[in-house]
Amino acid sequence: MGLASVNTVIEDMQICIFDLRRGQEEGRELDKILFFFPADSPSSKKLSVIGLGEGLIAFTRIFSPEAACEVIEAERHSHVFYEAEPDIWMVMMIEKSVESEATWRIDALREILQEVHSLFMMFHGSIRAMLENEPTGGLVRSHLYPFIMDYLSAFQERSPLDLEHCCSDFLVGKKLHLPSFRDCLTRRRTVQMLTVGREAAIEVQLLVRILESCAGTTPCHSLILFQDLLVSTTISADDTINLFAYSVLRLTPRALSSGVSSWSYLLKGNTVSHIAAASTLAHYGSASEHLFHSHGNSPGQDSSYNVKRPLWHDKWSKGKDGFLVTDVWGREMDSMISATPTIWLQETEEKVYLCAYQYRGLTLIILIPVSSISNGEQGVSLLKRQVLENASLKILKVEEKLSKGWGGENAYHVKGYRYLLVDDDRNTSRASPPVKASTLTKESLLAMSKLREEVDLEKRRGKLDSTDHKKNLEICIRAKNNAWVIAHTMRGKELYMVLEKANETLLYASDAVEKFSNGYCGGTFSLD
Amino acid sequence: MSGKASSSQHTVGFSGSGGLSHVYIQYPPLRCRIPGSRGLYYDDGSKLLLGPTSNQVFSWKTVPFDPHVAPTSDSISEGPILSIRYSLDAKFIAIQRSSQEIQIWHRETGETFSHKCRSESESILGFFWTDCPLCDFVLVKTSGLDLLACDYESKLLDLVETRRLNVSWYVYTHESRLVLLASGMQCKTFTGFQLSSAGIVRLPRFEMAMAKSEANSKPVLAAEDIYIVTVYGRIYCMQIDRVAMLLHSYRFYRDAVVQQGSMPVYSSKIAVSVVDNVLLVHQVDAKVVILYDIFADSRAPISAPLPLLFRGFPRSNTSSSRFSGKDGESAEANISDHEAIIYGDDWTFLVPDLICDVANNFLWKIHLDLEAISASSSEVPSVLEFLQRRKLEANKAKQLCLAITRTVILERRPVSMVARVIDVLVSNYSYSIKTGSYLKGIKVERTSISSGAHVNSPRSSANISASGIDALGKSYEHEPSARVENESLNRSSNISTSDSEDEAHFESLKNTTTSLQKLDRENILGAESASNEAQPSSSQSQHPGLNNNPLNASVSERQELQLASPAISPDEMYSFVFAPVEEEMVGDPSYLVAIIVEFLRSTNLEKIKVHPNLYVLTIQLLARNERYTELTLFIINKVLEPSKEVAMQLLESGRQNFQIRKLGLDMVRHLSLHHDYVVLLVQDGYYLEALRYARKHKVTTVRPSLFLEAALASNDSQLLAAVLRFFSDFIPGFRNTSDHHTYHRILSEMNSAIAT
Repeated sequence: MGLASVNTVIEDMQICIFDLRRGQEEGRELDKILFFFPADSPSSKKLSVIGLGEGLIAFTRIFSPEAACEVIEAERHSHVFYEAEPDIWMVMMIEKSVESEATWRIDALREILQEVHSLFMMFHGSIRAMLENEPTGGLVRSHLYPFIMDYLSAFQERSPLDLEHCCSDFLVGKKLHLPSFRDCLTRRRTVQMLTVGREAAIEVQLLVRILESCAGTTPCHSLILFQDLLVSTTISADDTINLFAYSVLRLTPRALSSGVSSWSYLLKGNTVSHIAAASTLAHYGSASEHLFHSHGNSPGQDSSYNVKRPLWHDKWSKGKDGFLVTDVWGREMDSMISATPTIWLQETEEKVYLCAYQYRGLTLIILIPVSSISNGEQGVSLLKRQVLENASLKILKVEEKLSKGWGGENAYHVKGYRYLLVDDDRNTSRASPPVKASTLTKESLLAMSKLREEVDLEKRRGKLDSTDHKKNLEICIRAKNNAWVIAHTMRGKELYMVLEKANETLLYASDAVEKFSNGYCGGTFSLD
Repeated sequence: MSGKASSSQHTVGFSGSGGLSHVYIQYPPLRCRIPGSRGLYYDDGSKLLLGPTSNQVFSWKTVPFDPHVAPTSDSISEGPILSIRYSLDAKFIAIQRSSQEIQIWHRETGETFSHKCRSESESILGFFWTDCPLCDFVLVKTSGLDLLACDYESKLLDLVETRRLNVSWYVYTHESRLVLLASGMQCKTFTGFQLSSAGIVRLPRFEMAMAKSEANSKPVLAAEDIYIVTVYGRIYCMQIDRVAMLLHSYRFYRDAVVQQGSMPVYSSKIAVSVVDNVLLVHQVDAKVVILYDIFADSRAPISAPLPLLFRGFPRSNTSSSRFSGKDGESAEANISDHEAIIYGDDWTFLVPDLICDVANNFLWKIHLDLEAISASSSEVPSVLEFLQRRKLEANKAKQLCLAITRTVILERRPVSMVARVIDVLVSNYSYSIKTGSYLKGIKVERTSISSGAHVNSPRSSANISASGIDALGKSYEHEPSARVENESLNRSSNISTSDSEDEAHFESLKNTTTSLQKLDRENILGAESASNEAQPSSSQSQHPGLNNNPLNASVSERQELQLASPAISPDEMYSFVFAPVEEEMVGDPSYLVAIIVEFLRSTNLEKIKVHPNLYVLTIQLLARNERYTELTLFIINKVLEPSKEVAMQLLESGRQNFQIRKLGLDMVRHLSLHHDYVVLLVQDGYYLEALRYARKHKVTTVRPSLFLEAALASNDSQLLAAVLRFFSDFIPGFRNTSDHHTYHRILSEMNSAIAT
């Protein structure tokens, strides 16, 4: 591994969340701040970041009241804005590195903000609701801080190298690794699906039906994953994305056996560049907690909040009965039984118990409406037993069928291609396996990153034009290293690919797209 | 007389109270009373009931069973008659005149000749005609079998072969072509011969089990205690052990006779019938009948012992209907008082499913009450298996299966149970497709339609069966007797043709326990025996005299022959189960979707194609409840297979959800429905894409004006120019059309407007 000087580590970064409706009076500006990273920054710094953000928002709203600014590129910094909830803003400010190459995509950064917020919503409900519940802001702050820190630590923990460093040395600077151009063939906030044959699909559906009916009259929702890929879901697209992301982070067999790097290309960052960031966060995770507490606007109250940390690493384990257990949600008073986690479904605004069952590569997530169970934990464990009784045979069968049909980590590798295929309507993506994508040269990756930036921009323009028709786009670029970098969008579907060591004619490139399209996308991108 | 009448009333009243019966006989019987009758003889070879008088022999056709069939008569010379049988081609009549002499009668010419035993020491036990290639006629004597060939020219029976052995008595059924010769002190040592069209098969000698009552007494087996039974193309022998009160069963293989197990009996007098491959054991003294379906290895009865029901007797509406209902037969009305004596002493059970009431000269046909049987068991999958094996009343069995399946779903029984129900139906359909019995039924239907004067469209099968559903709810008491004919006719055609071979295959498929070698043997033995049944029935129909009611017969053919098997196709599953159930079900569709998925699994397993309408239904169910994520998965994983119907439904449901509409669009494209795709693209406003697609796939069926109007509506002169140009290039001669002129003018106006 070339550990050399690939500098994608961000030197200086701030993330903050603030509420425009708070702290309107002079002298109480700090009240706006709900979260600030790094937590040990001086108040003046915090206020200046927020002040700038607020100013920019207010300014841009003059021109575009509906959608205020998304990104501000300053000479030395990029500010990424995301309005998570009405008047609740998340801003990420990152320093442009000295090497001056645009190493990240703004959209990729915004997707991080989006993801952390969506996950927070899933577990804790909206920030606004929490603020209304407890106007001092202590509650929401005490939740946000560990949550986001746990989330950010997700960027550190996939490399075995990191772990070693964590233990030995955490006095490295305050650096955080964020998605860079090396991740240009990935798309966050999408779901990766397992391709299954009809027979297996029918079996899966049968299992879904069994799970659905396991709580009697109220139907249960379910999510079925095989390895790190989604097989089936019965919940809305947004909820699926969130739960899928969480599962891949914490629940799938690979997530459980920590230390083993996930092959899922989305989460596998570039191993090389993690070292510094990892140790940084390890440092934050442990040492800076007290900083936060001492800095909180309502000191002394924190201990009274029962803060659940669903993203806390290494807290899930497989129980004897195959169900995954965690004590993150606390324990029952009188027993050693861990409380069953609950989450909120966005679409139905329903609170559901989250029960995860694992059998080999298969992870079932069963969502049981809290309202359907009257006697709490007892009812849940009864239901779990019922699920085992009714479905265990089917589970065996499905696992067998799926693992038989599964091509392994590199199943979706297409020889000669490095690609990313996104279906925006269904929020799914598929890409070359990370092992293969990482064989591309830096030039190709940078070119692709840039191209994607362009496409993002084009898409955003299309959205602003508010025509319902997504534009069809076809861009083929000959990169410096004589690689073809291609982007192709066709009515909501996007295809990005890099062809290295390819023939120099454009005809060759479009032929390659055509072939790929016919072979792997059902001819979506081949109309001519 | 009055006492008898009251007792009969009682019997009828009892058995009629709420269908406490699984087997019934249908009024009216076949009346075979003729003055001067000398008894009734049943010839199972030609399936005729024979009633000789001193100089005539009357014969009633029993297949198809028609109670109003008129007898035909042949005149014979006077003399004693011990036994009488028609030859299989119905050309000859053989009459046993004494224990030494058989007389052969040529029906057309009336010529006769006799065949006598050579020695005084042997006597004739019986005889039968055979279709074995070696001989025509088999004489069973105390000294063995004589196989004889009928030589009409020289007016004698040529001895072809003799099998010497001591015979005490014998049993023969034409159905099985098997003759069992009893010998020994207890008459329990048996030698069997099967005289099939493939030749003569000699079965190994075997002994029947007999329990001893005391140490020294040895019971003697009588001919009445042995029944040869043909079930599912297999041949069994049922033996009554009076001491042990058991009915032993033996199964015949080519080189072995294997005892299969025993059933208890509860009566000193036992009779065995077979109706539609169901074994009926009549416990005559107890006046009940026990049903066994010995398809599987289980020897458990289908249901509890219940009396035989007497159906259709006009008892409640006494005098008035008695005259009106029986046109012209009112003279015989007084006889009907005797009719209701169930299991009377005078009942003789004929092979396989007839009862002859000798005292009254009635012939009854035994029927299974499939509804009652299916209603008596709660184990739905096994009931369906039972029904699916029924051939005689295939239509009724089918309707029952459909009704049961509907009920099970409507009652929301556990999915696993419904899944087993579906498996039974689907695997039976798959089997019937493989053996062709399902298609055969349809084929027969078509041919009969083409020949018949009253033509229905091929789709009429659905109508007929639909009306059958209605009929199911009603009692059959008011049904016309035509139904009975239909069934029996249907039956004759079933058994006679390749059906029985199917059975043997079916069995060989299913019966895993028996070794392969054995299966081979039994295939020969079983299939042979039944495959030749065609001869008697066809030879009968050649005789114009016998077929005295041709109109009636043809009608019944049209209605019932279409169903050779109760197998239910996926189309029918859709139209008669899923569609009606969906209409009746309210609320959450999850359950029905689960059932449909089970059905898809089952069909996928059997590689059967599913009707697209079922997919359409599933889409509607899911879309109606806005379960779009699941619907998407169903489509993407091809759980719902692509078809035009499915695509159109997706587009329809896609009005509420753009994502679903897109799936529909994609499917249209994948199915290469070019025209539709282009039109849909235009609808969605993708004009240029539509044009490119049209060019690529040479879609010329879409009107150019569609595009031109759309381009004009966009108020974009560039777009209009592009479209116009495209069609000028794409369609030869487009420049001369009015479309071109119109839009060209508009375009130039637009351009000039911009210029100024």
